[in-house]
Amino acid sequence: MADVFLEVRRISKAYEGVQALSEVSLSIGTGEVHCLVGENGSGKSTLIKCIGGVVTPDSGQIVINGRVHEHLQAIDAIREGIQIIYQDLSLYPNVTVAENISLNQFVERRASFVNWAEVRAIAARGLAEIEEDIDLDALVQNLSVAKRQVVAITRSLTQGAKLIIMDEPTSAITRQDVDHLFSVIARLKQKGISTLFISHKLSEIFEIADSVTILRDGKKVGDFPAGELDDQKLTFLMTGRNIQYTPYHIPREWQQQAPLLEVRNLTRRGHFQDVSFSLWAGEILGLTGLIGSGRTELALALFGLNRPDSGEILLKGKPVQIRSPEDAVRLGIGYLPEDRLTQGLFIGQSIGDNIVITVLRKLLGFLGLLDSGRLKQTQDGWLSDLKIKAPSARVRAWSLSGGNQQRVVLAKWLATKPKVFILDGPTIGIDIASKSNIHEIIRSLAEQGIAIVVISDEIPEILHSCNRVLVMREGRLEKEVPDVAAVGEAEMLSFVSGKLSNGVAGT
Amino acid sequence: MSPPARGTVPALTAGLLRRNEFYLLLVIVVFSLAITIVNPAFFTVENMFDLIRSSAGMAILAIGFFVVLLSGGIDISFPAVAIVAQYITVNSIIALGVDNLWLAFAISSAIGIAFGAVNAFFISVFRIPTFIVTLATMNIFHGAMLEFVGTKAVNAGQLPNCFKGFGLADILSLHRADGTTYGLSVFFLVLLGVILVTWVILKYTVLGRVIYAMGGNMEAVKRSGFNIRRTQFFIYCYVGLLASIMGIIHVSLIRYSNATYIIDSELLHVIAAVILGGASILGGSGTLTGTLLGVVMISILEKNLVLLGLSSYWQQFFVGLIIVLGVSITHIQKRIQNRRSLALARE
Repeated sequence: MADVFLEVRRISKAYEGVQALSEVSLSIGTGEVHCLVGENGSGKSTLIKCIGGVVTPDSGQIVINGRVHEHLQAIDAIREGIQIIYQDLSLYPNVTVAENISLNQFVERRASFVNWAEVRAIAARGLAEIEEDIDLDALVQNLSVAKRQVVAITRSLTQGAKLIIMDEPTSAITRQDVDHLFSVIARLKQKGISTLFISHKLSEIFEIADSVTILRDGKKVGDFPAGELDDQKLTFLMTGRNIQYTPYHIPREWQQQAPLLEVRNLTRRGHFQDVSFSLWAGEILGLTGLIGSGRTELALALFGLNRPDSGEILLKGKPVQIRSPEDAVRLGIGYLPEDRLTQGLFIGQSIGDNIVITVLRKLLGFLGLLDSGRLKQTQDGWLSDLKIKAPSARVRAWSLSGGNQQRVVLAKWLATKPKVFILDGPTIGIDIASKSNIHEIIRSLAEQGIAIVVISDEIPEILHSCNRVLVMREGRLEKEVPDVAAVGEAEMLSFVSGKLSNGVAGT
Repeated sequence: MSPPARGTVPALTAGLLRRNEFYLLLVIVVFSLAITIVNPAFFTVENMFDLIRSSAGMAILAIGFFVVLLSGGIDISFPAVAIVAQYITVNSIIALGVDNLWLAFAISSAIGIAFGAVNAFFISVFRIPTFIVTLATMNIFHGAMLEFVGTKAVNAGQLPNCFKGFGLADILSLHRADGTTYGLSVFFLVLLGVILVTWVILKYTVLGRVIYAMGGNMEAVKRSGFNIRRTQFFIYCYVGLLASIMGIIHVSLIRYSNATYIIDSELLHVIAAVILGGASILGGSGTLTGTLLGVVMISILEKNLVLLGLSSYWQQFFVGLIIVLGVSITHIQKRIQNRRSLALARE
């Protein structure tokens, strides 16, 4: 690790007045696994794009293998052995594994013709080198995300990679696949190939990285050996503040009232069975369970998207029929979907338009036309209330970070003034600081008397943000934890996986 | 063309059963048998030769359309390119007084490639959606020709001999029972040439593989450092070239050049054939074999529905139905596939 493969010297880059990077330096040794950490918007993406020659920095130098580059071009970076694996992996879903691995090489050497024997040979050699076995003739679209990653890594390898940069490779794969990915990275390390790894997940960083560089607001906070960091310290360095969790307690004023929502013996065959529970105003109720436990299906039933076969739903003591999302919204039920990109946002529209879409009818003025004054007032009100970081309401939703996007979706639902608000995976793909900020928002909503259901499979999230938890397993309500303060993470996990059928914290 | 499959024999048959082409072939066979029962004259060598003669032009158009579709684009200007190239070529040959087929091909190819380049220019330089560009240029090309070149039809009497000769040329002659002859049109050779060239491009050149890759993930192709602009120029010029070849074949076949032919009839038939052949409207998937089978199916449908006792209006109905069903299937498949693969957040 004595040899330095890559050195970034005091790089700065500004976009339209925003300083994305200022004087950031970084050094990566041969065979080193280096982790780059920072919140969304801290400049990680810009930094890796500079290293890959995709973005030209305003000032600073990049030194690769001792050669100094002032204006690194993408093609030079590739020739020097720098390969970036973006989050979307840049694979061709419609062609085979072999071709995905080899095609870029033919492109790079400006060949006119394809030699199919060579295509297969390159791919087979590459996969063998990292001891992976994937059917060369399989189409990439039929592979799991984890396997696709291996294909992308193999492609980088066969293109002579000396440094592989992976942009959040673990965000879309299971724990098991993460372990596998790490074993691949370990094999790369043995071959003297360096890895620059971007991650949000602290536990992973400790597991894999030799050293860690932390960015905050475009500036480098520092370089640290992974061994010197712990969870709390890293969080502090990333966010610049200490985040502490205090368990949530339902405010007394709401405690004494009758339940706002009651679910009695709700059943939908194959989805959930005989589910009964009550929900009070001012409460944050956690709903957890493994994927397939019926938690999302149950939530969708409350929002009119998954009609139950039998059972009843009572709102303020009166039975209600929720046949469609329109019914749900009219009754004051909001639902924040799990996948905000496809279900929660009009990604190509402005954030202002996204926010008011649910309440357009309330903003009509003269002649039934939209009242632009009230429209703007509503939009700006939510932008400041939820502290959405954007220059104006006219910015397109896709240009925001995950945390800000999620706040836009929240605003959109809050504008309807829901009485019951169901949040499915509210912090998926969101960095720590934004995460705790979203938790704060949720908490303040509950304090205002909204009944909240948080669906999540992140146990810490459930423990930190809810006052009561329902655990589902195989379509049934497995367990109710009335006081989250009384249970630990391990215990909670055992309820979810069903290893302990009768827990200590009985009802 | 799919990359070489090197599976065991059972894997091959299993692969066959999953192939769209196999089912299409089955449908064609069943349909042909049905027609043969009604009209035994259908399943004769003569009728097959006739089918080739009359649908070679459509097949060439379909191949061009297939290549664009594969790349993730769409070109609906090809019928306009075909008729404009044809009409201008025929009139130029008459005006020049040089009755030469090679010259005719040279003129028409130049027009076809030039029009393709215009499409490619707007698509690659201004990055306008391909459908909009070609919808507009289709009208520009055709409208300009009607205004500046004319609208007067060229009939068989005025048509230069080179076209008539080309239309009658056979590469193989056979005798009927009564002593008269019929043959396999030279169009077959042209079609074969187009198929061969396209096949080699798609399967054995980097350009061809990149066309597939573009249809799968345009962004990834850009990142690989490939020159997308040049590829797009190739694709749209190639379609233009094929359309111009079809223009010549068309006039040679019907011995009549009307400034409003092709444009109204071929567009939907070609789209239907290619989609029926299994090419995805979203790009990136489909095979040349499928496209050709699609052409065969549409051609048979076009000419033989009447034989089955259905009015010719049914043909229009079926063509529309095929497009809707074909596109629906592609989209449903895509949705299932999307659901399977985790949607990755965009940066």
